[in-house]
Amino acid sequence: MSKSISEVTQRRATRRTVIKTAAVAGLAVPFMPRMAGAQAKYKLAFSVPGLNFPFFVHMMDLAKKHVEEKYPDVEFISLDGQENGAPSSTKQSNDIDAIIAQKVNALVISPNDVAALAPAVQAAVDAGMIVVTVDRNVTDVNTLAHVGADNVEGGRLQGRYLIEILPDGGDIIELQGQPGAAPAIDRHKGLDEILSAQDKIKVVVSQTAEFARAKAVSVLEAALASNPDPKAVVCANDDMAFGAIEALSDAGKSGVPILGFDALPEALQDIQAGTQAATVEQFPGGQSTQAIDIALAKLIDGKDPAQHDTYLTPILITKDNLADAERAVEAGVATPVASPTS
Amino acid sequence: MSASSATPASISEEQRGIDYAGLIGKFAPVIFLLLVVTFFSFFESGFRTTTNFLNIIRAVSFFGILAVGMTFVILTAGIDLSVGSALAFCGIVCASAAKGSRALLSGKDEGGIHVLYAFLAAIGVGLLIGLIHGVFIAYLNVPAFIVTLGGLGAWRGATLLWSNGQPISSFSKDFTHWGKQDIGQVPIPVIVFLGMGLIAHIVLKYTRYGRWVYALGGNAEAARLSGLNTRQITSSVYVISGFCAGVSGFLLTSRLNSAEQVAGQSYELQAIASVVIGGTSLFGGSGGVLGTLVGAVLIGVLNNGLVQMNVSAYYQPIVIGVIIVLSVYVDQVVKSRRR
Repeated sequence: MSKSISEVTQRRATRRTVIKTAAVAGLAVPFMPRMAGAQAKYKLAFSVPGLNFPFFVHMMDLAKKHVEEKYPDVEFISLDGQENGAPSSTKQSNDIDAIIAQKVNALVISPNDVAALAPAVQAAVDAGMIVVTVDRNVTDVNTLAHVGADNVEGGRLQGRYLIEILPDGGDIIELQGQPGAAPAIDRHKGLDEILSAQDKIKVVVSQTAEFARAKAVSVLEAALASNPDPKAVVCANDDMAFGAIEALSDAGKSGVPILGFDALPEALQDIQAGTQAATVEQFPGGQSTQAIDIALAKLIDGKDPAQHDTYLTPILITKDNLADAERAVEAGVATPVASPTS
Repeated sequence: MSASSATPASISEEQRGIDYAGLIGKFAPVIFLLLVVTFFSFFESGFRTTTNFLNIIRAVSFFGILAVGMTFVILTAGIDLSVGSALAFCGIVCASAAKGSRALLSGKDEGGIHVLYAFLAAIGVGLLIGLIHGVFIAYLNVPAFIVTLGGLGAWRGATLLWSNGQPISSFSKDFTHWGKQDIGQVPIPVIVFLGMGLIAHIVLKYTRYGRWVYALGGNAEAARLSGLNTRQITSSVYVISGFCAGVSGFLLTSRLNSAEQVAGQSYELQAIASVVIGGTSLFGGSGGVLGTLVGAVLIGVLNNGLVQMNVSAYYQPIVIGVIIVLSVYVDQVVKSRRR
């Protein structure tokens, strides 16, 4: 009943062939689009912390569209910093090293972490690449420019809106973002700045739900068990706000105002329907197109930007000004403005 | 009394009284759970309510269902790292089926029979994923760790690819009924979780197939030489794990009213932790589903209780990690004393 030696060797050989073929195929796949576009005059790489977040997907899509429409000479390289479904500073850094080796001309990056990405970004700058940071910054690297949203101001907008809708004050619950992530830290800072300057509204629970919808449901459920009557729930992003909507409606408290951040199309629809009170628009599309324009102006025309840092002021979106949101048309809450040439 | 001279002294020693150490070892997970529940109940009045307990078990059920399937896998000394990503992929396919198309924000969920199609789609995809893993592990002899590690990445990527990185949300009441509503006072996901746990327990303890699973985990070579079709049994446990991912994917999508790209992230680790806390050995051959249920609820209780006590978010993972290690350590120490 024992297997012959040649049978065993043959099975091992088959297994090795399968594994080797799979490995080669797997390595080749990411390079195929790049090999196709090898004739472009310039190469621009766009790197985000993780395309598992719809926010970054939208940013990447708009960036790609912008380059394809306005800069036909430029090849667009998309870099996704996620590893096993979570944003990874290591993966993002490794991708930058890879494009330095590929002699890419320009890099527009939203770094996952202000300090962890600094060495890789510095290496890109030292290699002569034109680097512009977008949405999030890196510390102590002499990049060409930074285009960002002021997340602290966004947090302040949420705080001021709370004061506006809760004139008699009350207890509220705060759901924070990913611990250690710059947007989470900044938004909390702005909110805290406004709320600690007054004493009618009290944040009785401030927990992290890591920017994730499912986590927001379970964290808010637990928080409601010991604080059953919040006057409002403020979330550091829309995904958590969606989770909050579900948790509150399951607990029979649908009327409680919920604040989000990011102005995702689903949030705009919820605001129109009345299940969400407000969100903050920070113009990710506007940021990425401006960042690309600055980078390519320097690369193609040799023009320097007017100033190093450009901050787009975020605005609060409520039911009254849905049309001001960047993705209002996509969400179906506003009609497209007729173009002049039609 | 009439013991032969060859009988070792330790056996007659054990026959004299109740083996307290052994009992504690067997019930260590339950004892730990009771301690933690008592602790939180004492400090937080909001913890002690029936609603809160049901909420805890409902929050647990989404990775708990995965843990039930994971028990089968770990009993054969295997591992399945892909269940979180498989859950996400089953969820996104199921969401598309419910909406009748791959449409995202547009596309209406008609409810009714579409919900059944969506559920079947989720199960079908889950079974398929499990089968693919099973074939690679059992027939092509690639280690389970590697295959499911590859699956962890690949199925997450497939989820992104399927809907272009966007979540699929907003379903009909018929669809969200399953994740959100109760039967009597008990949430449906809880019923599914405990029901599947019970069925798994019966299968493992009282059927031939269950004995085969334990035999395979205890000593794979002996099992093979005894005539068991080890390859079939090995691949079957991964199919079971995939099935569980499908069920949980459907329920989670229904509960959140959305199929997300990040759904189920790190659920595989929570599932594995539940199984191990429950007393199942990572080396296979011993343990069971009842322990897994206790382990899963322990994790849920910790998550809920720490939020209620408003413990800083930075301390929570540390506390949970320490308690997990301690509970397994106590379990090991007590078990190793029983020779």
